[in-house]
Amino acid sequence: MNGAPRAVAGAEPVPAGRDAILEVRDLWSGYGDTMVVRGLDLRVPAGQTVVIIGPNGHGKTTLLRTISGLVKRRRGEVWLAGERVDGRSAEYLATLGMVHIPQGDLLFPDMTVEENLLMGAFLPRSWRKRHAALEHVYGLIPGLRERAGQRARTLSGGERRLVGLGRGLMREASILLIDEPSLGLAPVAIERVYAAIRDIHAQGTTILLVEENFTHIGDVADIVHVVEMGSIVRTGPLEELSRDQTVVQTYLGTL
Amino acid sequence: MSAVTAPGATVSPTATRIGRGRALSGAEKAGILALVAVAVLVPFVWSNDYAVGVMVTAMITLVLNISWNFVLGIAGVWNFGQLAIYALGGYGTGLLMLHTPVPPPLAILLGGLLAAGVSILLAFPTLRLHGIYTSLLTFSFAQVFLFIVVNDPAGLTGGSFGFPTVRGLYSFLPPTTALHAYFWTVLAVAAAATLLVAWIRSSRLGIALRTIRDSPAYAAARGISPLRYRVIAFAISGFIAGVAGGLYLSYNQSFTTSAMGLTPMSIDVTMLVIGGLGTIWGPILGTGVLTGLQVSLVDYPGIQLTILGTILLVIVVFVPSGLVGLLSQIRSRISAWVAEDEEADDAAVPIAREES
Amino acid sequence: MHLTDVIGILVETVVLGSIYGLVAIGMTLIYGTLRILDMSQGSMVMVGSFVGWGVLVVAGWSPALAILFAFAITFALGTFTELISVQPLMGRRGFDFEMVTFITTFAVAIVFANVALQVFGPFQKNVSPVVSGGIDIYRGVDLSYQNLTMALVSIGLMAALGLFLARTRWGLAIRAVAQDLDAARLMGVPVMRLYPLTMGLASALAGIGGVFLGAKFFAYPGAGDLPLLEALIVVIFGGLGSLPGTLYAAYTIGLIQATAEVLVGTTWSLPILYGIILLILIVRPHGLKGRPEEARL
Repeated sequence: MNGAPRAVAGAEPVPAGRDAILEVRDLWSGYGDTMVVRGLDLRVPAGQTVVIIGPNGHGKTTLLRTISGLVKRRRGEVWLAGERVDGRSAEYLATLGMVHIPQGDLLFPDMTVEENLLMGAFLPRSWRKRHAALEHVYGLIPGLRERAGQRARTLSGGERRLVGLGRGLMREASILLIDEPSLGLAPVAIERVYAAIRDIHAQGTTILLVEENFTHIGDVADIVHVVEMGSIVRTGPLEELSRDQTVVQTYLGTL
Repeated sequence: MSAVTAPGATVSPTATRIGRGRALSGAEKAGILALVAVAVLVPFVWSNDYAVGVMVTAMITLVLNISWNFVLGIAGVWNFGQLAIYALGGYGTGLLMLHTPVPPPLAILLGGLLAAGVSILLAFPTLRLHGIYTSLLTFSFAQVFLFIVVNDPAGLTGGSFGFPTVRGLYSFLPPTTALHAYFWTVLAVAAAATLLVAWIRSSRLGIALRTIRDSPAYAAARGISPLRYRVIAFAISGFIAGVAGGLYLSYNQSFTTSAMGLTPMSIDVTMLVIGGLGTIWGPILGTGVLTGLQVSLVDYPGIQLTILGTILLVIVVFVPSGLVGLLSQIRSRISAWVAEDEEADDAAVPIAREES
Repeated sequence: MHLTDVIGILVETVVLGSIYGLVAIGMTLIYGTLRILDMSQGSMVMVGSFVGWGVLVVAGWSPALAILFAFAITFALGTFTELISVQPLMGRRGFDFEMVTFITTFAVAIVFANVALQVFGPFQKNVSPVVSGGIDIYRGVDLSYQNLTMALVSIGLMAALGLFLARTRWGLAIRAVAQDLDAARLMGVPVMRLYPLTMGLASALAGIGGVFLGAKFFAYPGAGDLPLLEALIVVIFGGLGSLPGTLYAAYTIGLIQATAEVLVGTTWSLPILYGIILLILIVRPHGLKGRPEEARL
């Protein structure tokens, strides 16, 4: 789908020729009567890593969950690779290549690491290639192969995060949604997780990443959006935003 | 850059929606009064003793259903042992009538108290349990009770043959007059029970129970003690069920185990669910509709249960809140339609004015 | 108690436990994935008994066909039940999903039983055993080939189920849905297709059990009541949703019942079971291997 770059509020104009894998228009979503995502517009161009920063409770996780189909949107549109997908089920979106690596990992607790990974390749096409995918993931993420037979519920926080990441990589993704990969981890573990993310980014995978603050996203972020109260309030490359004192104070201060 | 407020973005804890309100709306009060007024006249108008008898039995079941609706629907406890409590009231009343000089009306009340007492005992273990487990607990209790009654180790209950014949309330009256006396007595009890439950439902007790049912975390945060309120709920529903049992015993002058099995339980649950769990009119509608069905199908005993089961399924799937829910949906659709009409009228006027 | 009694109890434990396991494991499977108590599971045993009667007695065909037909018919019925009494209620608000599905599956069971009553009449039908004859294990302790086959088939089926869940794609998917529904959906598992499949599978296991149980307890419309109760007891005792728990519970309950029959006679064994269930629910509601969070408020 070739189109002239569209000016959507809150997003940088995209250089001609780069298609948007994911496009979100005026999205409203929440729980019950409470709207947490409020009129959010977003574009994720192919091959880029778009990072969303913001305080907790301001809709970042809900945004990802709405995009991936776990939460029903109240209003607005979601487009994946030119197909309108808002309102579709999470299972259907998975078949379109949407891979959501959720906050809290959501591993299958009584399955082994390898079984968790295999579930990542559940879809028929991916299932046929599961052995190769398994090898690929074992190679990419350290420490998984050794724990292949270990029950997920016995893993440490960092190990779980890596399994979650690996599980998301077991199939071909049109876009990876990653929700706060550094949450609750010790610095060493965070570094390992982000090393893997950097590798994935380097391979050209389109990524929408959510984090609470700037600390680790330096090498991966192509564009950063700041989300407050459910919509995007600032946008720009990381260097530009980190020169803005108000932003720095708010988001570098929170750790 | 400022935050945009989304439409309707206020957080409303469930409890504020469980409003105090009035126990019954004006229309509902009128409805019940009308119903009672009509019902009172039935024995005068209808000389068919069989039909009146059917209504007496139906109203006794209604009292039972009111009690069951209270604990299951309003308090939200998966109590599937209510029939045992009902039977306990019946057998208790019977034993008192048979072996003591206690006058029958008092015996019924005491039977109710006995049932309430046992019901309270049942309340305690259910407190720690999640829904399904409570249903199993209460159901197992009912089965054990049934077993004890059938096997009758102390020779008290008469086993599967039924309780020995007792006098009942109105045995000193000629049959038809007695029948009518029972009719009005049970009618009065049913009306009283309905009003009592309606009043409780909107009282502090009722609000507490419904809060515990819908938002246990919020209830805990507000310091509402599940123990206290559940015990009270079980006590009240147990008492009403026990009285129903006593009435059953008096009217039929005996009590049999067939009133306790899986079949009557299925029918009663169907009545509750079809009518609408947790509502005031639910038991009335449910008992009425199903009794009507049973009567019309009396010549086809076989398919009765099939039809009942199918109706239960259909109603629950399409309108889980029962007939009461269906009626209120219809009512709100009608008033929305009326409002649309009025809006259209209002919108039409300025244009007309402009044109003129 | 003599040695013969003890051996008799052991044999009976294995036989009873295996068949309890077969019927109960379906309920656990359903609870694990759909989070409902399927009250129509007992009626699947009843249907299986009638299929057994129809195939073995009326048509005079082979036991293998009886099992095949029972599997197919109860699988279809189970799928159908899920589609009409559970699926339409999913994702809707304003009522207690668990309670309402308890009632709807119960309603389905009533309808099935009543239809059977209309079609076959109230009198029980003799179902011929799948195999006849038996052996004398130890000085008067008999083991009929029927019971032996029943135990072997049950154990075999449970093992097959275990392998299915552990090794196959759909088995893995079923476990995934049971352990984390959201994650399973994100992996692309078509849950709306998986639910009826699971219920069909569980019902089919009960149906096959019915073919064997029919020979012992006859085929009649109410034949589902007792198996339902027993399955509930086993499932709660073992811990709702735990497959290994169900297995342990099945054989433990079998042991208790076998012992009770020897000590106090058959009449009391069921109430004793109920009494046990009461006790368990009061003392340790999550059973042997269930998760405490699920049982307690």
